[in-house]
Formats: sequence, structure tokens, C-alpha cells
Amino acid sequence: MPALALAAAALIALALPIPLQVAGYSYFVTVAFLVILNAMLGVGWNVIGGWAGQFDFGPNVFFAVGAYVAALLAVHLALSPWLGLVAGVGAAVVICAVLTWPITQLRGHYFAIATVAIWMIAQPIGATWELINGSRGLFLPLRPATGPLDAVVSLRFPGRSKALAFYYVILVLFAVTLVLLRMVDRSKLGFYFRAIRDDQEGAEGIGIDSRLYKVIARSITAAVFAAAGVVYAFWALAVFPEQVLDLNWSTFPMMATVVGGIGSLWGPVVGAVLLIPISQLMGATLGAGPLAGRGIDLVVYGVIIMLVAALRPNGLLSLPWRAWGRRLVGRKR
Amino acid sequence: MTLVLQAVVNGLEMGLVYALVAVGLAIIWGLMEMINFAHGELLMLGMFGAWWFSTTLHLDPLLAIPPVALVMFGVGRLIYTLLMRRVQRGETFAQIFATIGLFFFLQNSAVAAFTSDYRFVEGGLLSRLSGINLHLAGLSVGLPLLIAGALALVLFLALYLLVERTEFGLALQATSEDREAAMLVGIRPQRMFAVAWGLGAALVAVAGAILANFFAAYPQVGFPFTVLAYAIVALGGFGSILGTLLAALLVGVVQSVTVVYLPPAFKDAFVFASYLLIGLLRPQGLFGKF
Repeated sequence: MPALALAAAALIALALPIPLQVAGYSYFVTVAFLVILNAMLGVGWNVIGGWAGQFDFGPNVFFAVGAYVAALLAVHLALSPWLGLVAGVGAAVVICAVLTWPITQLRGHYFAIATVAIWMIAQPIGATWELINGSRGLFLPLRPATGPLDAVVSLRFPGRSKALAFYYVILVLFAVTLVLLRMVDRSKLGFYFRAIRDDQEGAEGIGIDSRLYKVIARSITAAVFAAAGVVYAFWALAVFPEQVLDLNWSTFPMMATVVGGIGSLWGPVVGAVLLIPISQLMGATLGAGPLAGRGIDLVVYGVIIMLVAALRPNGLLSLPWRAWGRRLVGRKR
Repeated sequence: MTLVLQAVVNGLEMGLVYALVAVGLAIIWGLMEMINFAHGELLMLGMFGAWWFSTTLHLDPLLAIPPVALVMFGVGRLIYTLLMRRVQRGETFAQIFATIGLFFFLQNSAVAAFTSDYRFVEGGLLSRLSGINLHLAGLSVGLPLLIAGALALVLFLALYLLVERTEFGLALQATSEDREAAMLVGIRPQRMFAVAWGLGAALVAVAGAILANFFAAYPQVGFPFTVLAYAIVALGGFGSILGTLLAALLVGVVQSVTVVYLPPAFKDAFVFASYLLIGLLRPQGLFGKF
């Protein structure tokens, strides 16, 4: 049954944007791009937040690190985004490890506030640092791709094909992330993370270095955020501090994780698929009406989050779907 | 040197108002050990309350303080009974997310109701006094901020006396220390939590009503104050109300002295850097008891 659902989901993810693109609705392809991007971030956040149980409010710092490193390399050395991806992820992991090690001695709310503090310090640095052009931002060099191969290597897609191409780029990265994190989930690392979350003293008692594994967990999260940040930079063709350090790059993945099911591999994916279109499609349907741009979508988000937190804190995936399915099938017989 | 001294004086004035922003959180987070990421949104509601009071009723925004406090006390109690009571006993992350949901709900309801435009309170006593400075030993002290600071200090001390010197305050502290034992001596913990939330919301909203005289009111104004309040409470030490006051003064001074030497964008960065530093060297905060 889960294998069947997975195959169906994969098929839909692969095929869905093609009719939209053909029909000329490339806006909806962009919505799908944002859904997968946020699902990927959510799956990444789940490692520190869901598995290791450490509430990280500032993973968007590493989204920015990835975007800036790849953009800098593209601007100054004309490096391919894929090499930029490797460099961005590497830089994010190193920076994350250095910043996270000291704050792992803080627990619970204190750790959460410390991650906010790091984000608060990153903002003025991003806005004033001359190397990254401060608040004027970095613009990626524009040049048309010489052929289909060059388009893939340099992530430059002409005109209307851009939305579709970037959708598949992020889908591939998302699939790679899922496979790698599933391996982490089932490895010793995954058990260590959960042991620390469930009982830190107990975990330390059997010889797990809780601080080391918290750093590893957050560095994995940072790697995923940096990879997504690189793709986002090349999609947006520019990197601005207030754009890549936006709070929503932290809160949307978190909300997706909680609504879907914190701690389970697929929870953030379910959450992102449900939540992200709400905002994008409401923006499209409210159009120029009196309530356009008045944050109604986020009011709905707020209500959903409060309801899930109060009624089903373990998320939608924790509902007894299997028993319901069986009852439904049984009735039919 | 005078420049630095002047910055210290300005910082102390601002710090008094910050103390009022943070003390609501000191009760909810520090004393009752519940998290609230929508703290700044309650402040934003207070600001809009004062703005509405002055533009619709043409009264001085300072007169909005009693009604704002009363309404927001009710709002705080409501937040506890409808939402926080349900997530209180569960895992921490449920609490965190419940208040993040509240944050989105309140902030964007304000966008829906008032739009994201900046609103300025005009014609109040404090704005008419602006530009009037008291001169003391070569330093000038802005009168409006001084009045606001004094007002904040009075309210702060009233709260301190309420928590430290009355029977009600003792019951509040008892609930925070040991819920079961408090129940045994006849305290109803849920009522205590509800009142704590009411008090916390009322205090931060009053701080908002005062701040509306100095800053524009808009729906997104709250979040920086939320994180500032967390830094102040953690710096001051949990459960220490006077520690919160001293930490708030410190934060105000750090902010305004930073601006003397660095671009204004960095004024919060140094506050958070000191939070990190003190959090790592002295986890119980500067004046914490535990």
C-alpha cells in the first residue's frame, strides 16, 4: 500500500506540470516549484526539529549562505551553479557547525532563542557587507545558453521553458534529499538523534555525545537549506539580504512539517502540498478584489496551525488513515 | 565622551519602556514557563488600540491605556483558555507552534483590518511635548520619552509589588514552582495561568499604547519586539522581575551606544550577541535565582 501510494505520488509529481505548461498556465508550474522547494526545506528542517527535537528558528541563515556562495562564485569566477551547489552546501555545513557547537549547551526554549539571535545578527551583516554588495544585492550575470546541455549545466533556460525546467531541477534535488535522509533516518545517526530528543540524559548515559550529534543534525538541515538556496538564487537571478533571510524561509517549512507530521519523513511533504498552494492560489483568486494582498491566506495558515497544535500535535499523518481505509473498503464489501 | 554619555541616557529612557514590553513575557515565559512567540503581536494590538482611540475618539493616546489594558487582559485570558490550556501539558513544540499559529493569525488579521500602512498617532500630549529637552550637566533628556519611561516604571513597580508582596502573587509563584502542591493548598492552577496570561497580555499591550507615541503602528511591528523581549527575559534571568528591569535598561543602553559607533542596522545585533555570550557563560541569566 505505501509503495503504491509512493509510486502514484511520484508519477503525479513527474507528469502534473506538463499539461499545465502545455495549456500555458506556467504560473501554476511556478506554484508547483514553490511547493517542492518548501517540501524539501521541510524535510531538511525535520532533521533538527523533528528527529533531534531541537527547535531551530533560524535555518534560513543557511538558505542565504547557499544562495550567496553560489551567486558570488557565478559572478566573480563564472562558476557553474552545480559547482556552486557543492561549494554552498560545504560552506553552510562548516558555518553551521562552528555556530551551532557553542549553542548546543543551551536546551529547549534557550536553544530556539539562540538560533533566532544568530538570524538577527546575520541580517545587518547581510545588509552592510560590501563583499556581497550589502542591501544592493548580487545580480547573476545574464547570458543566453548555447544549447540544451549548456542550459542544464548553467541553469539558464530560455523564456517559457524556465518554470518547467526549474520545477524538474528542484524535483531531482528533492528526490536526492529524500533518498539520503531516508538512509540517515534508518542509520545509527537517526537512532542517536531520536534518543537525544526522547531522553537526553539517558542518551548520554549510554555514551552518545549529545552535543556532537545535535551539531551533526543541524548541519544536515543546513546542507538541505543551502542546496535549496542555490537553486532559488538561480531561479530569482538575484540575491538580496532581506529576500533570502526572510523569516518565511524558516516558518513555512516548519508549518509544513507540523501540519503534515513532525518527525516522520513524509510529514513535511504532505504539509507543503496542502499549505503552499493555499497561499499561492488564494493570491490568484482574490485577484484585485477588496481583500487582495490583505494576508487572508496567512490568517488561514494561522488558524490551521493553531488547530493542529491544539488537537493533533503529531500532524495529519498521525491520524489513523490505515484503519479508516480498511473500514471504507470493508463497507464496500 | 559626552556623545557616549548622551547615548547612555537615551538608552536608559528607552530601556524603561523595554522593561514594560518584557515584563509581560517575564510572567508568561519566565514565571509560568510557557512560550509565546506572539508576544509582539499583542504589543501591536496595543499600538493599534491607542491609534484607534486617538483618531476615532480624538482623545489623547495615553488615555487609551486603561481600556487597552482591560480589553487585552480579556484577550490574554481567552488565548489561554481557548488555545494554550490544550497544549500546556504536551510537548514543548506543540506550545511553540500554537503561538506561531497565533502570531500568523493576529498579524495578518491586523493586515486584513488595517492594511500594512504605517499609522501615526498625532495630537497627543507626548507628541506636543516633542522637542522639549531637559538639560542636566550638559546632557539633554527628551521630555516625552522621560514621561513614557516614568509611566512604564510605575506600572512595572506595581506589577513587582503584585507578584512579590501580595497573596495573589504568592499563589502565582507557588503554581509556577509546583503545580500539584499548589493544588493541595487550594490554588486552582488553571485560573492562575489564565490570570498570568491576562496580565502578560495587558502589560505588553500597554507598552504598545505608550510606544505608539514614538513609533508608527503597522501589523508587522511586533516581531522585533518579541525577540528583544526574549533576549531581555533570558538576560535578566528566569523568574526574576527586577532582573528583567535591569536587563531591559542594559539592552536599551547597548542599543543606543552601538548606534554611536556602527550603522543603525547593528543596534539589535549587539543585543543578541550579548544574549548569546551571557547565555553561554551564565545560563541562569545575569540576575537569575536558579
